Amino acid sequence: MSSPGLSLREAVVEALDNLRAHRQRSLLALLGILIGTASIVAMLTIGHMAQLETLRMYRHLGVDIVQVHAAQTGLAPATIDRGLAEALPGRDPRIRAVASMGLGRFPVAFGDQISDLSVAPTTQDLARMTGMRLAQGRFLAPIDDGGLSAVVGSEVARKLSAPGRPLRVGEQIRVGGYVYRVIGVLAPMPFTSFDPVNFNETVQVPIVGGQRLIGVDQPSTVLVRMAPDADIKAAAQRLTALLARPGASLQVLSAREMIDGMNAQKAIHSRLLTAIGAISLLVGGIGVMNVMLMGVMERRREIGLRSAIGATPRDLQLMFLIEAATLASVGGVAGLLAGLAAAGGAAVFSGWAFAAPLYVLVLGPAMAALVGVAFGFYPARKASRLDPIEALRAE
Amino acid sequence: MKGRHDVGQIDLGGYSKSKIPVHILLSSLRLATDRARGDRCGGAWRLMLKLLNVDKHYGPPERPVPVLRNVSFTVQAGDFCAILGPSGSGKSTLMNIIGLLDRPTTGEVVVDGETVDFSTPEITAGLRNRLIGFVFQAFHLLPRLTAWENVALPLLYRRVARPRRREMALAMLDQVGLADRADHRPSELSGGQKQRVALARALVGGPKVVLADEPTGSLDSVTAGEVMALLRDLNRRLGVTIVMVTHDRDLAGLCDRRIEVLDGRILRDTAAA
Repeated sequence: MSSPGLSLREAVVEALDNLRAHRQRSLLALLGILIGTASIVAMLTIGHMAQLETLRMYRHLGVDIVQVHAAQTGLAPATIDRGLAEALPGRDPRIRAVASMGLGRFPVAFGDQISDLSVAPTTQDLARMTGMRLAQGRFLAPIDDGGLSAVVGSEVARKLSAPGRPLRVGEQIRVGGYVYRVIGVLAPMPFTSFDPVNFNETVQVPIVGGQRLIGVDQPSTVLVRMAPDADIKAAAQRLTALLARPGASLQVLSAREMIDGMNAQKAIHSRLLTAIGAISLLVGGIGVMNVMLMGVMERRREIGLRSAIGATPRDLQLMFLIEAATLASVGGVAGLLAGLAAAGGAAVFSGWAFAAPLYVLVLGPAMAALVGVAFGFYPARKASRLDPIEALRAE
Repeated sequence: MKGRHDVGQIDLGGYSKSKIPVHILLSSLRLATDRARGDRCGGAWRLMLKLLNVDKHYGPPERPVPVLRNVSFTVQAGDFCAILGPSGSGKSTLMNIIGLLDRPTTGEVVVDGETVDFSTPEITAGLRNRLIGFVFQAFHLLPRLTAWENVALPLLYRRVARPRRREMALAMLDQVGLADRADHRPSELSGGQKQRVALARALVGGPKVVLADEPTGSLDSVTAGEVMALLRDLNRRLGVTIVMVTHDRDLAGLCDRRIEVLDGRILRDTAAA
């Protein structure tokens, strides 16, 4: 026997009518679906935004950068041989560029303003490799070698400026016991966990002559840019071997590994949010089941009538399933909007750009509808199995 | 009971205050004469409903409680017959079996030459949709639907498209004199109007048998008279076969034939005086 079907559109309209008729009860049931969908949508959207943000932050460095640190093992300060390091691009075609830097901390004074700041003796290669931008002046150049020139970060300029006396190119600052002339001020740049130091708060001076300040004229850190397709793990081992010298152990950090580490941590948060979402959806599903069961009880006469005039058990089951799915989908759409709003709030709070992945717009309501179908199944089955004679007699 | 359908028999009897629209009365006269010439052409009556040795008992098979015992009768096409009996007589069970809502323990039901297959609820639902039109004491209209949507409900389960459903429902509402109430909801209709909508719903699918269960039970006597007159009119005018279940002797007296049920058996089967 061919199954007489209900038009889907009519069934949905009918379901929405029922929803309107029992607004309060339905809304309570939908709350769970709403919270569940919202938390999953928010989680996915925030995750998406965080990923975009990570990419944006590392873009100035590039994910193919490896950082080699010398860790002190003896009495002498740990250093890396600068000549050896800067010859690397010639020795290995997979190494594209190298920048050396040392690091110290000194009081830096400009007029009456004094601040304790990082000082990095380095070369012109650093600016190129890290994608620094200038607000004024120029970067370090070979002619500055051995001289007393300094490039200051944006925060350095802000901290040392006094009202009416901004720190500008051409001014003189006192670093340790020496007076350096400012030749450049950097534009603000993102600081990531991969940067060896926050360049916004660092004074850069030429590495040649830097021993005046930190006692050695050899770098303690080398940034190495690898070819994009290079195997970072293998490269790290090679670099350790190439740069090894007695008295220092070398640590190799790669941006890619750090991003992987961050992703792994994010995955834990995602799992937590997914669990919250899943539990909320479960509770919402039970709510939908409850509303549907009450609906089946209240509408026994209607079910009896429909059965008498020719609705098959399958027709009745389908009718209640569509109703449950519609009910849940309404919660799903509301949850989608709430989730996007929450993600938007998070974006404003963290200063990120708001971006929702497209699949979330479909996934949220679809998941809710699925919950509706799953939890509507039992009530729908119950409705389809009512005895029409008793159902017609029901009060 | 046969040969009684002539024009002179259109009997609105004590219900002369009937609000049946004049055009229905007129067309009923016309159709009744048509029927007299057409359907009964050659004097051959068509068997519409047959119950054969129907037994029904409830309870466990080892201790059955009999409700119907060996019930057999036939209803001809165009009959307007009453099943009469006090409560507990098995009348309701008999009605449920005729309405294909319940299956007989033994025996068979034949509707318009088709032996009813009670094997699955899917099959009986389809047969009810095609063969039986129901009218209930409590109307059983769906409150959220308009009059025409209520009337069109049986067509929904035949996959009739909505525009066609509306068309058919409006035509049937016109037949019961409620064309102007098509877009009203049941709450906006009087009891008599509700039962007329229900009647239109019972007829819209062109059933073989209209099964009316105490159709006037919820109505005051004047309105009840109107509904009875309409049933009688539809029976004569459209040739609809009607089986009315009632406990009211007077009401049963308005039908062509009276099947009295007592203790699960047919006590008497008489043509109305």
